[in-house]
Amino acid sequence: MITTAQDEINLYVFAVRAALGDLPESLRDELLEDLPEHLAEVAADGEGSLTDRLGSPEAYAADLRMSAGFVGGFPDPPGRTDQFKEMRDVAVARLRVADVRLGPLFGAERASDFLVQLRPAWWVLRGYLAAMVLAWMLDDSGQPIGLLPRIGGSEAVALLLLAAGILGSIWLGRRSVRLSHWPQLALYAGSVVLVLVALGGFLSADSSSRGAPYADVNYDNSNPYGNIEDLFVYDEQGRLVQNARIFDQNGAPLRLGNAYCYDESGNYTEVQTLTYPYCAERDPFRAPTATASAAAGEASGAPGANGPGPVPPMEDGSGVSPSVRPSPSPSATSPSVSPSAR
Amino acid sequence: MDTTQLLKGVLDLACLAALRDEDGYGYDILRRLRTAGLAEVGDASVYGTLRRLFNAGLLTTYVVPSDEGPHRKYYALNPAGRAELQRSGKVWHGFASTMDDLLRERETA
Repeated sequence: MITTAQDEINLYVFAVRAALGDLPESLRDELLEDLPEHLAEVAADGEGSLTDRLGSPEAYAADLRMSAGFVGGFPDPPGRTDQFKEMRDVAVARLRVADVRLGPLFGAERASDFLVQLRPAWWVLRGYLAAMVLAWMLDDSGQPIGLLPRIGGSEAVALLLLAAGILGSIWLGRRSVRLSHWPQLALYAGSVVLVLVALGGFLSADSSSRGAPYADVNYDNSNPYGNIEDLFVYDEQGRLVQNARIFDQNGAPLRLGNAYCYDESGNYTEVQTLTYPYCAERDPFRAPTATASAAAGEASGAPGANGPGPVPPMEDGSGVSPSVRPSPSPSATSPSVSPSAR
Repeated sequence: MDTTQLLKGVLDLACLAALRDEDGYGYDILRRLRTAGLAEVGDASVYGTLRRLFNAGLLTTYVVPSDEGPHRKYYALNPAGRAELQRSGKVWHGFASTMDDLLRERETA
């Protein structure tokens, strides 16, 4: 009973307060400071709801405004800003309630207490982000920066910059409480920018790490391997290695080319295993037919007809690509190519 | 004629007068005014008027704790308030007698 009466009083006071929303808050607080006690006297003395006996809270507020000497608003109803302030007040009040409600979830009295504990972690993260942004602005080497603030691809610079950024951010964080209004606002604005940059960086890092194994191998024009459809591996003797598997330095299998074949009659077959070549029939050094291949092998006067020839030295400029240059090496006469049909 | 309009002009004086003999809290003063015959006086008007008189330096306040209900803020006239009551009382008497004369003239004319 007492609580419901108290609730009624609180609601009434709240409505009166809202109706006086155009008054400066300090004035409103001062004007209404005794109202709950006063209304309790009213409620205790007689029957009927407060609204029945006192009229609507709005009318009550109008009377109050008039008699207390704030006729027509005070000092001048600045309308919109006060509406904005009112909304902000409501939002802040709701946040406070949520803050307290969520507190037990974090094992604290209020959720914000927990967030305050996390503040140094944010300082460190902010330092890292600031170093990344700085590196990104200063670096003109054209190399990818990666996840460290490298300048010109230098790891040492990256670590130095990282340490400076983090220490600077912590120093700033410990001082920020004492900053005056504008520097603090600038700090907040800078933090917002950093968070946005971080989100952008995170998204691009995420997409590049997801797409890494297949990263545009076939469609990038600047990629020298963009035109590769199949891969043929030959041993030192110039023999085609069947079912070869290739890996990068990390042991990750490399996938090149198109994993399907067309046989002579144009039938399409998908290749199920990641071994090279996909289509042994397409061996570029194979003799036109098996019998011709054998004949060419015996002739040994036509280097390149069977296999790519000897291993070329690296420095002759032809790279590692299979070369068909004539060579006296015996490997040119590889005994058999024997392309096996898949 | 609307009594509430008239009340607006004299509510200060009415409140000061209600406190002349005895201190009182808000609702108490409202009851005194109503008992005296100002039935239309509004609760909010009295509350607001007391706040304004206090801010104007005419009243002092003190809080009396109450066992059963909320604590009560008592208002009391201070010397400035008594002086104002006297001054305003004179103004009112002059005004009222002028109005009386005016009305009497009209009625007899």
